[in-house]
Amino acid sequence: MGNDVWLIVTDPADLAVLPRVQNLGPVTALVIGDRELADLASRAVAAVQWIETADAVPAEAYVAAAAQSAAAATPRVIACSGAPASRAVLGAVAARCSAPLLPAVAGVTSDGAGVVVERTAIQGAVIATYRLTSPVCVVLVPDETAAGSVPEPATVVAAPSAAVAAMQVVSRVATAKASGLADAARVVSVGRGVRSRADLGMVEELAGALDAAVACSMPVADDLGWFPKDRYVGRSGQCIAPRLYVAVGISGAPQHLEGIRGAKVVVAINSDPDAAIFRAADCGVVGDLYEVVPALTAALAAAHR
Amino acid sequence: MTTAAAYTWSRDPGSAHVSADGTVTWPAAKLTPGEDDHAALAVAVAIGGSEGVVGVTLGAGDASWALARKATRAIVVSDAPLGDDDAATGAVLAAAARRAGADDVVVVGDSEAHPGVAPAVAGHLGWPIMLGVTSAQRIDGRVHVTRQVAGVEETVAITPPVVLGVTAVSVERSAPGMKEMLAARKRPVEKVTVAELGLEQRAALHPTTTRCPEATRARIFDGDPDRAAADLVAFLRSEGVA
Repeated sequence: MGNDVWLIVTDPADLAVLPRVQNLGPVTALVIGDRELADLASRAVAAVQWIETADAVPAEAYVAAAAQSAAAATPRVIACSGAPASRAVLGAVAARCSAPLLPAVAGVTSDGAGVVVERTAIQGAVIATYRLTSPVCVVLVPDETAAGSVPEPATVVAAPSAAVAAMQVVSRVATAKASGLADAARVVSVGRGVRSRADLGMVEELAGALDAAVACSMPVADDLGWFPKDRYVGRSGQCIAPRLYVAVGISGAPQHLEGIRGAKVVVAINSDPDAAIFRAADCGVVGDLYEVVPALTAALAAAHR
Repeated sequence: MTTAAAYTWSRDPGSAHVSADGTVTWPAAKLTPGEDDHAALAVAVAIGGSEGVVGVTLGAGDASWALARKATRAIVVSDAPLGDDDAATGAVLAAAARRAGADDVVVVGDSEAHPGVAPAVAGHLGWPIMLGVTSAQRIDGRVHVTRQVAGVEETVAITPPVVLGVTAVSVERSAPGMKEMLAARKRPVEKVTVAELGLEQRAALHPTTTRCPEATRARIFDGDPDRAAADLVAFLRSEGVA
């Protein structure tokens, strides 16, 4: 078995997890995508194996070839972010190598012949530790620290990609652009803590004071129908990266939090101090949103005078 | 053609009790399916092959849950516990799907808690996979799936066999009633063991230790709402975001 680490890269988001495994040794990126993605990876890792994707063929079509390349190198750790195509490759590698596959991993360190893996569990309430023999496959959570750069960009080496699954992209329609959330610098988001549709005006006033777009959690769009479905934030909805995200009456379900991982500053307003949203927030107010939101709107107006 | 819907039941994280030292206990033995499993099963039923949909689960998974939601039969790997290793779970589900005769599409909930299960099912079957699927339909023998990727709604045409990892876009709208539950009891359930699937029996992977994370990084402003709001605005302005 080799001593190195392989990182599956099908999306720039995969490179955001790099700092979590750089301590283990040289990292080889297995890139499935276009040349631009391969070049991006080459500036961050020691080596790049590149499988070029054809037009209108998703990265998932190359999973078998990618898994074969990664497994043949017998790395001790194979990692990726939560990007769908990267996870697809990781599952195939785990099957080929008979390796365990752990999600939500925040850290991997050496332990003699094996590794120590730390991951978040119980919706972030605990850190669980595992001692495993290599190889091990891990889905890493993003790291906000910058990845260490390499002195010279790595050479991009083409990897075999003969077998391609029968998949074809039929259509692609931008939804985040249409909703305006993709480009919004600030977003105020409504959760089930807002009791009535008539109360949305209070939230819209806050959004106006912040010059923010208004979004919502999945149940507010789906169950209540207060917003179009292209305005709900979450894993199956919009994944956004505003500079400011204000969650009003949102509990912080995992699928919602996945949609705001790229946000710079997250503010939570919730009456439950144990709500999961506070574990993902940078700051917040524990209190009745019907008192806090108008007070916040007024405070913003006063600050801008 | 046989379509399978693979799913697992696990403890509800909301029922866990975490002590100050990070020890986790489960005062209530409440088990639930994954949050995306109802959507996965609905997709399986929508595109089900000529032989219908077979529900595939393991350990504490409840066969009647799938049978009450239009699965025609079910297979349960009774001695395979659900651990933290998604690859091990995927290996058992893949073997059970193969035993059930799945030769077309295997649908799995693409859950936040176990994002490696669906990929591992595909890996062990040696089939291609598409994750993050929100809906699917059959058109001219191919499966057309729709998913959200980075603010884009993408439709992909795939020739089976394929594994689909489905993400729910809503909570389950209408749970089965008494009539469906009673009908479910009459449908066949096959119970098999890990050994009967030709797999090696392994202990479920659990952590050696658990601890509480470092103190929450959220800065909390509390007390009088006006004071808290003013402090929050000052903080946001210092961060350059308000």
